[in-house]
Amino acid sequence: MASNATTYKDLSRANKLDNATLNSIAWKSTMLQASFNFERMQAAGWLWTILPGLEKIHTNKEDLSRSMEHNLEFFNTHPFLVTFVAGIVLSLEQEKADINTIRAVRVAAMGPLGGIGDALFWFTLVPVTAGITAKLAIDGNLLGPVLYFAITFGVQMALRIWLMHWSYNLGASAVGILTKNAKEFTHAASMLGVFVVGALTCNYGATSLGMTIPNGDKPIVVQALLDGILPAFLPLLLTLLCYFLIKKKGWTPIKCIVLFLAIGILGCAIGIWAGDYTPFIPVPWK
Amino acid sequence: MDYIQLILLALVTFFFAIDQFSLSELLYRPIIACPIIGLILGDYKTGLVVGGTYELMMIGNMPVGGAQPPNAVLGSVVAMIFAVKSGLNVDQALGASFVFALFGQYAVTLVFSISSGLLAKADKAAEEAKPSGIRDVNYIAMFLLGSLFAVFAIIAYVAGDAAAQPLQDFSNNYKWVMEGLGTAGRMMRYVGFAVLLKIMLADDMWGIYFTGFAAAAILGNISQTSGATLLLVAFIGLAIAMYDYNINVKFKSNVSRGGSNDGI
Repeated sequence: MASNATTYKDLSRANKLDNATLNSIAWKSTMLQASFNFERMQAAGWLWTILPGLEKIHTNKEDLSRSMEHNLEFFNTHPFLVTFVAGIVLSLEQEKADINTIRAVRVAAMGPLGGIGDALFWFTLVPVTAGITAKLAIDGNLLGPVLYFAITFGVQMALRIWLMHWSYNLGASAVGILTKNAKEFTHAASMLGVFVVGALTCNYGATSLGMTIPNGDKPIVVQALLDGILPAFLPLLLTLLCYFLIKKKGWTPIKCIVLFLAIGILGCAIGIWAGDYTPFIPVPWK
Repeated sequence: MDYIQLILLALVTFFFAIDQFSLSELLYRPIIACPIIGLILGDYKTGLVVGGTYELMMIGNMPVGGAQPPNAVLGSVVAMIFAVKSGLNVDQALGASFVFALFGQYAVTLVFSISSGLLAKADKAAEEAKPSGIRDVNYIAMFLLGSLFAVFAIIAYVAGDAAAQPLQDFSNNYKWVMEGLGTAGRMMRYVGFAVLLKIMLADDMWGIYFTGFAAAAILGNISQTSGATLLLVAFIGLAIAMYDYNINVKFKSNVSRGGSNDGI
């Protein structure tokens, strides 16, 4: 478990968030990816989204700071379903649950939503709507784009607002378990969180080699060799390398990022990484 | 040159660039964006046709001209400029806009990398419990993205389709740099994972981490389950976590009753 602060100072339960605040968070959730970045993805947008709630819950500055800090960790979920995570997390924050518990529940909840959201939205609603309305547009009918927006945006916003209220109330009603067996709940939630991070390492892993070693009519594709040993081997290796550097060597995350920048760009200069490009230095394997 | 057109064009491109990731995430779609750009350029009818065609192309129902442009925002903005202003037909316009769409993707990669640097500012704001600092970080990132896109729209408007070739040459010569940045960008998430693990991973949980990895590796490589990998993984993880919870709660209640429980 973490060595730094794992609990809030003020442990008294905060007042329930009113409907206006919940609605404003649902609207603000449209800014989730405003500062999307490669390191922590939606983290800063996520924090910005739930801040109106956090400010109401944590009236003392130190607790607000603790809460903001842990809500700035890696975060990525489906933008249209994010309020589901927001509702649960805010109900736990309001309960002043252990920070490790909140973190673990957040990580466990954000993971699976990506696939669900894509399947519901980009693979179902948008294609069906586009199929109907694009024909109108091509025929020169302004109703095409108007209908397209009304349907897709309407469904999206309704979902955001409904999920916000539903999951907030769900979380609030489930905290009974939490208060009764807090220690056990935290342990179980952390397990689920670590499990999901393991899955993310594989699922979000996106690093592969592009080298092909010439060998007569049977060129050796190096990445295929690696996949034979372990799929997503490089993402796992690089994650563990980072973990080692940060935990054991005391590196800051920034230092790791600079290291990756160097590996990435130098690697492409000599044609190590996969991709459609010509290496800066001509090499036999690319 | 019509400066009002140019300014309006830069403004909507700025907006669409942000909208592709935030706000509605829908207004930037070609079916909506193209008619709006058409309106600015004085020909919304062409916008409807280009937009409708492009939209069908994006959802994969209508493979137009082979590959998909890498970035829909610059793809549709520039295709519209070329279709209305340079008088190219729809196919030519989409073709000539391709390199701009590529630069759109470069701009995204660049901003997503730079925004990692902005996190230091966000961390500081969190430490000081200053919500306005978080707001500013988000504003800065959106401003960067919008501005870069607007610049490319201006180039396309001012230089016309003549700009495509020099851009293409530049891209051919320096593609390895952008690919390198993209590769590095895709590695940066491992830093995010490592920080989470540093905090969450107790020594007795390494097995759980690798089980999660294995579950995703298996489910992700089966075509029937790969789409739902993370959901299925969550089901498995949930079962493990609930088992752990129930066992520990039972164990605790047994201990507190001095072990005299009948165990049911």
